[in-house]
Amino acid sequence: MNRKSSKAVSLVLITAALASCSKTPEKEENKEQAQKVYMRADSSAPYTDVTEQYNQQRHSSGGGMGSALLWYMAFRPLMGGGMGYASNGLSHQANVGNNTNKSNAVKKQTSARGGFGNTSKSSTVSS
Amino acid sequence: MRIKYLTADSNWQKRLEDNGFGFHTDENNVPYWIEHYYYSISPEFADKVYNATTELWQMCLEAVDHVITNKLFDQFQIPIFFHDHITKSWENDAPSIYGRFDFVYDDIKQQLKVLEFNADTPTSLYETGVTQWQWMQHYFRDRKDQFNSVHDRLIESWKELKPYLKGDTLHFSCMRETLEDLTNVEYLRDTAIQAGINTQLIYIDDIGWNGVNFTDLNEDTITDIFKLYPWEWLVYEPFALHIPNDEAEANWIEPSWKMILSNKAIMAVLWQLYPNHPLLLETYFDTPNGMRDYVKKPLLSREGANVTMYKNGAIVEATPGDYGEEGYICQALANLHQETTGYSIIGSWVIGQESCGITFRESNNRITTDKSRFIPHIIEE
Repeated sequence: MNRKSSKAVSLVLITAALASCSKTPEKEENKEQAQKVYMRADSSAPYTDVTEQYNQQRHSSGGGMGSALLWYMAFRPLMGGGMGYASNGLSHQANVGNNTNKSNAVKKQTSARGGFGNTSKSSTVSS
Repeated sequence: MRIKYLTADSNWQKRLEDNGFGFHTDENNVPYWIEHYYYSISPEFADKVYNATTELWQMCLEAVDHVITNKLFDQFQIPIFFHDHITKSWENDAPSIYGRFDFVYDDIKQQLKVLEFNADTPTSLYETGVTQWQWMQHYFRDRKDQFNSVHDRLIESWKELKPYLKGDTLHFSCMRETLEDLTNVEYLRDTAIQAGINTQLIYIDDIGWNGVNFTDLNEDTITDIFKLYPWEWLVYEPFALHIPNDEAEANWIEPSWKMILSNKAIMAVLWQLYPNHPLLLETYFDTPNGMRDYVKKPLLSREGANVTMYKNGAIVEATPGDYGEEGYICQALANLHQETTGYSIIGSWVIGQESCGITFRESNNRITTDKSRFIPHIIEE
């Protein structure tokens, strides 16, 4: 008989992970009262609401508008998907130019995201 | 197998929550976890499930080989661009961690019959491996036993799998804001950590593509990833077109060859390969082929959606849902074990290629759905 039973079950991660998951999300009305922040990459691009990113960065790093994320966004390359506001009318090279800092910032975030996960927004995958 | 009752603690919900099991009751206050009764089974019955699971697992591997060798992907509605990826994952023996067979038990014939194989994204893992085991310890201490080495097998399986990982970090992914999925994934990650593997959690929509590789939020290349997200959803999302172009050729766990086993078409293929096998129900593609008592199931249906039950050729029970365009199987109607509390099926886990534990799910109706209850079990003489 090869059937077995566990003699002990110990966990190292799960309890803490689930405790953090059960936090109540921020209420929508509070979001509405927050200061709105809009940015655009250049005069050819439409304005985009970046309030959420701005607040996240401000609270996490204290960096405000000079934070890494917004610095990156100001030099955002032309790529599809996700947040952003760079004009599709500009070439990647024109967006990066010869500015080394700008180029390095672009290199730091080069992935398109949000491509997976669209099939089911409301249910679990359970089977 | 039979139901037995006990006196449940008044604060059992809190005990479960304190141990990381937060979805014991649904949003309508209907319990998913059953605390006050359990299935009492004999050691012989547990062995019977163990042996059936072991045998079926080998049959399934033969069936996958048959499907890939004969290029039967169209019967499974798998898109053409993904055929090579599946073939490669099979030929390279891409590692698999787990799966769960769903059995019915015919009391009259005393025979187990497999309904389907949840081979890609089986859930209820945490309640099986942890909550059920803790429930036994709480009420019976060491006086009783369970068919349940799920926790040990997970840790051992990750240890066995570790040398096959391509990078330093194994990513774990699921949809965000789903407590049940997150619990299952974090439990798997917990056991991987205990096996000495570096891990990171990334939500499925946070996975990036940098033109060459899939990336995490640190822009690091994803080389190995466990995903609690069905292959049949992934491959129909445009982002999946990157998978064959991934230069890192990331290990996806479960591997893509599991798409074949998680598809209900496999039940018809198994019947073709092993006709009249005692563990199988007569099953055909598309038509009942003369059967009068049968169940019509979509190839990709989940949690009992779009299932129609026929008796003497007439519909007697049906469930709603969004599946069916992909095609159907017709499977002989099985006799379900019934107690005064409801109808039950047995979930039997294969982890690291070994049969290692069971769950009971109970329904008010004969079609098991996401409303079905989880019943713990005890092995008793």
